[in-house]
Amino acid sequence: MLTKLEIEGTRDTAYILFDKENNLFEIKGNSLPENTNKFFEPIFDWIEHYLQDPNTDTNLKCDLEYFNSSSAKMIYQIFIEFEKILEHGNDVSISWYFESGDALIEEKGMEYKTILNIPFNLIEK
Amino acid sequence: MPSMNIDTTFWFFDRISEDNLCLLYNGNFSDEITNKLIELSEYNISNNLSLTKMKKKASFLMAECFQNIVRHGEIIDGKVVDYVDEGFFLTKNWQGIYYITSGNLIETTKISELKRQLEKVNSLSKDELKQLYRDVLENQEISEKGGAGLGLIEMARKSGQKLDYHFSTFDDKFSFFYNQIVLKSTDVSFEDNKADFELKEAIDYHEKMVKNNILVIHKGDFSQDAIFPVLKIIEENLQKENKDEVSKKKIYHILVELLQNISHHCYVENDKKEGIFLIGEADGYFVINTGNLIQNENVDNLKKHLDILNNLNGKELKELYLDKLRERNLSEKNGAGIGLIDIARRIISPVNYSIIKIDSKKSFITINVIA
Repeated sequence: MLTKLEIEGTRDTAYILFDKENNLFEIKGNSLPENTNKFFEPIFDWIEHYLQDPNTDTNLKCDLEYFNSSSAKMIYQIFIEFEKILEHGNDVSISWYFESGDALIEEKGMEYKTILNIPFNLIEK
Repeated sequence: MPSMNIDTTFWFFDRISEDNLCLLYNGNFSDEITNKLIELSEYNISNNLSLTKMKKKASFLMAECFQNIVRHGEIIDGKVVDYVDEGFFLTKNWQGIYYITSGNLIETTKISELKRQLEKVNSLSKDELKQLYRDVLENQEISEKGGAGLGLIEMARKSGQKLDYHFSTFDDKFSFFYNQIVLKSTDVSFEDNKADFELKEAIDYHEKMVKNNILVIHKGDFSQDAIFPVLKIIEENLQKENKDEVSKKKIYHILVELLQNISHHCYVENDKKEGIFLIGEADGYFVINTGNLIQNENVDNLKKHLDILNNLNGKELKELYLDKLRERNLSEKNGAGIGLIDIARRIISPVNYSIIKIDSKKSFITINVIA
């Protein structure tokens, strides 16, 4: 079994939980790392392994307070990787949370929704 | 009210370009803001080997300056409550010298008494100061102000120098009281080596900031540890402005993108990634300027990119943003393109810029946006 990836959140990096065994997938908090590639690298590595044998129903929960534009690209790439699960015939979806009145995070979610083929739910908190 | 224009950035950069760091603040001094100003100054000191020895002393003196600003603010009567905590603060490092300057409003009628105290402190020797400190502690009733006299004595004792001060008229009732402390990393005595940066110059900067409605200027390192206190100071000020959540987040986002752009893309000289950043206000909007050196060979591309952005409408900018988002290239260098596009979508001005050629290798670029 693929061991879970859990990274504590900091003032500039998000809390990450990718747990195959318990079927929990979460990105939460703030993302504006000094070095974006370095932060996201282990996440892409984990996803690469996960894609070899994904769970039957994967839901990625995104509950972000703020993220910068280089993180926006990384998050998009994560979604693109998750889209590949559809090719396995398994279910996958994204839940995008935003604080009521937070136009920036809501708008970012809507933009992702329009350019992705993956089921994408916008959820007002 | 006048606001800073694009040339203001170079005006400051030109004057402080030799400094390792320079932080100027003109505004409200809440506890949160003074804490962040100290945190940023301490970070800057820690990053400079020749200064680390004086970190404790500098922190103490900064805290003392802030207490003067805030404590004197509190006694001002209700009529002028608008600028109750208004003040000025500067820290600056030039070679082995560290400058701390503060300015706060006092009632003009109280100048003569304060002057008397300052002159008294300046006339005493080290031992006499120590004795006076004890006398004040033991004998004098602590006044409502909390004994500003003690603060002055402590500043003179800890800095080991005469207090450098100046008064400027603010309005018919108030004046600014400025005070500058100079710390040197070597054991050079202050008498035989006069400060190269005069208090008068700091006051010029403050006046320029007031005239142009500038809140913060930071010249120095743009690593994450330096960016965060700056962001916090701005957030606190946004809070005070009663801006709605949407505008607050938008301004925060623009700041993050612009500040990180400097750290990722500026011209690196002697291992230093340096830039200057100014934020001010105009007619309820925030004016943000950043300036940094870039390699001459990158000037044309950047110009082209900015000119394209400035010619697109909102819908076209959004499409360009989504195209960039979908590009597979994930390198940090490409992040800048998308950052500027996202900024262009959220400002009420074009992305104004000016480029000044410095020498055969590098140019200075200023970016100015209003949000």
